[in-house]
Amino acid sequence: MRNVLILLKKEYLRFVVDKPAVILTFLLPAVLIFIFGLIFGGNGGVQSKIPIVFVRNSDEPIAKFLESKLDSSDAIRLVKSYKKEGEKNERKIDEATAQKLVKTGKYSTALVVPADFITDTSSSIHLKMYYDPANEVEFSLIQGVIQKTIFTQLPQLFPLLFQKQIIKPLQGLKRKKFNSDIADVVSKYFGVPKEKILESMDFSKWDSKELLKGGNNTGDNFISKIIRFESKQLVGENIANPGVTRSVGGWAMMFLLFSITGAASSFFEEKQEGSLKRLLCMPVRRSQLIWAKYIFTITLGIVQLLVMFVFAWLVFGVDIFSNFGNLFIVIVASAVAAVSFGMLITSVTKSYQQANGIAMVFILVMSAVGGSWFPTFLLPGWMQTISRLTINYWSVEAFLQVLWRNAPFARIALPVLILFSTGFIVNFYALVRFRKGNIF
Amino acid sequence: MLEISGVVKNFGEIEALKGVDLKIEKGEFFGLLGPNGAGKTTLLNIIIGYLIPDEGTVTINDEALVYENLEIKKLFGYVPQEIALYQDLTAVKNLEIFGALYGLQGKSLKGKIEEVLQLVQLDHRKNEKIKNFSGGMKRRLNIAASILHDPEFLLCDEPTIGVDPQSRNAIFDLLQSLNKKGKTILYTTHYMEEAERLCSKLAIIDNGKIIALGALNELLDKIDKKTTLLIDKNDLTLQKRESLKSLGEVKENDFYFEIIPSEKFSKNSLLFSELEKLQIPDKFVELKKASLEDVFFKLTGRKLRD
Ligand SMILES: Nc1ncnc2c1ncn2[C@@H]1O[C@H](COP(=O)(O)OP(=O)(O)O)[C@@H](O)[C@H]1O
Ligand SMILES: [Mg+2]
Repeated sequence: MRNVLILLKKEYLRFVVDKPAVILTFLLPAVLIFIFGLIFGGNGGVQSKIPIVFVRNSDEPIAKFLESKLDSSDAIRLVKSYKKEGEKNERKIDEATAQKLVKTGKYSTALVVPADFITDTSSSIHLKMYYDPANEVEFSLIQGVIQKTIFTQLPQLFPLLFQKQIIKPLQGLKRKKFNSDIADVVSKYFGVPKEKILESMDFSKWDSKELLKGGNNTGDNFISKIIRFESKQLVGENIANPGVTRSVGGWAMMFLLFSITGAASSFFEEKQEGSLKRLLCMPVRRSQLIWAKYIFTITLGIVQLLVMFVFAWLVFGVDIFSNFGNLFIVIVASAVAAVSFGMLITSVTKSYQQANGIAMVFILVMSAVGGSWFPTFLLPGWMQTISRLTINYWSVEAFLQVLWRNAPFARIALPVLILFSTGFIVNFYALVRFRKGNIF
Repeated sequence: MLEISGVVKNFGEIEALKGVDLKIEKGEFFGLLGPNGAGKTTLLNIIIGYLIPDEGTVTINDEALVYENLEIKKLFGYVPQEIALYQDLTAVKNLEIFGALYGLQGKSLKGKIEEVLQLVQLDHRKNEKIKNFSGGMKRRLNIAASILHDPEFLLCDEPTIGVDPQSRNAIFDLLQSLNKKGKTILYTTHYMEEAERLCSKLAIIDNGKIIALGALNELLDKIDKKTTLLIDKNDLTLQKRESLKSLGEVKENDFYFEIIPSEKFSKNSLLFSELEKLQIPDKFVELKKASLEDVFFKLTGRKLRD
């Protein structure tokens, strides 16, 4: 027993002097729990509203009423005007522009209240939605909010609807009679059994959860007959495996960061085994050593990413070839940025363990915040700002543009530029650090 | 010629070298003897240009050494204290990399690799990963990697640590033959036996300072007596403890009385007849020749190895 206690003491002693281990054990989980907490209902901050493009082409009071209700939603924010580059004034978004904004990935959804939103002859109100399900969660969330707004406002909508053709003939009837009559009409027009209609007209039985459920399954709902939702996917409609296509970039980036940091910090192993010193005692410059390591890790990163994408293609049918040139550019840019991260960590730490401990913390946090694991719109606004400071964010953005939107180079130019310039600036700093650092 | 003058090097609070002056002539087998932590490796690191001294200069063939002077580095072969090799590569692959960095290529590189592998007797294992080598084999390859480019100076930093006696002798033979072929060798060690056996000239370093310098004989002259008498501690001698003083100055440790015989016993025959008189049997008596160990002890009051 005594020996167990002595050995136990040894375990504790060795643990507390191993700072990276302490960090990994306590700090890392705390940080990650904090981030997840912010997303899934913690009190850490107000989740920012999801912006959607909104175009109203109808001046009917109901249309205005709907707009005002959506405006006051705390989950979405209606974008109605935009500024074109070089122009001073914002201009109102029209339907064509709305489609373009969605297609290019500026916004994921556009809601259009068309001119024929409600007419004297229409049998339902008409709404149009253009969307890009680039990330599924965001898309179904938006859909849910729009439907929820419409349905919860339904009691108020009804009086307005009454004034219109749709329900006019039924005016003045007792409620039960009205229901029965409308059920007759609907069952005649749409071929739905009358009992089913009557049942779904009993508002008290409506399960709000059912209504909030994303999209299309509300299609056989009575309400959806009154509201004609015309939705059109503008992007990714032909993509074989949307789930994998959307997420492969994020995951690839995270693993890239791990492997690159390992490769860069192998300097420490070489120092420990003495081979680094032998090299430095030979006719070799320090800068030459660093360049060799740099080029090696970049090529390693490029090959690793290529392998991951080829794997995604082979196993999940992700289309990597129709936009391969741009994909390759993003791969190179991501590798350059990831290598600079690895070099930076190596140049500011003192040992292999320290480098990899710290790298682990940064990589996991950057992956969580930067969109490798889940879309960044789920994060509170201030944290979305932080997202943009991570390599992952720009890399994930660029991969999404290339794979999901099949974008031309112009649209990945910004993230690619950011990745490259981060890569070069950070790497330059690492080079300076190496000259003074602990490795040589 | 390698000349080191006034070299000082500090690591923060630690004064690793406190002003070292040395001159190593062409063709010498120069030994740098000192205990662990004396500053041997630090001095070699400065000579090779791996570390920059805080003060002082190093000149090679009258040319001052500057940081990252790649031409001067080619004059040196450096055998680091560590096994500075790629453990997961074969012997040949290791040598190819290091040889190529010294500017060798093609046939001359291949030929040179064969040559040094034979020299260190590893040609039969050349295509094996060196992590499977024994300590002695690794040490030999460690030397091989440093002589591929035929350097003028060979700096060996304790090249026999962790080596079996057979490999150790092979290393000694190798270095001696290299020295005979004209290479100047600077050899650090904390084994005085090695220094005595190999080196034509010696410096003893302790605490960052050279405390003695010269040929082996000159260093041994620093101690008055060439021999020490060791007498086994046993019941018999314990009884005669007092009478031992007639022989000379007596010190004792756990196992022995250590006696430095006085002047009148300058001849060993006189000493032995005195021992006979004291009735101390021969089997308890041992005569120890003076060694560098004694020199070190005389100069520092400490043993070379604790
Ligand atoms: N990089 C370093 N940082 C701090 N102290 C060092 C460093 N290198 C050597 N020392 C210290 O300098 C002294 C001399 O070391 P060293 O030259 O390695 O001795 P030796 O090779 O004779 O055993 C020792 O006290 C050692 O701890
Ligand atoms: Mg040493």
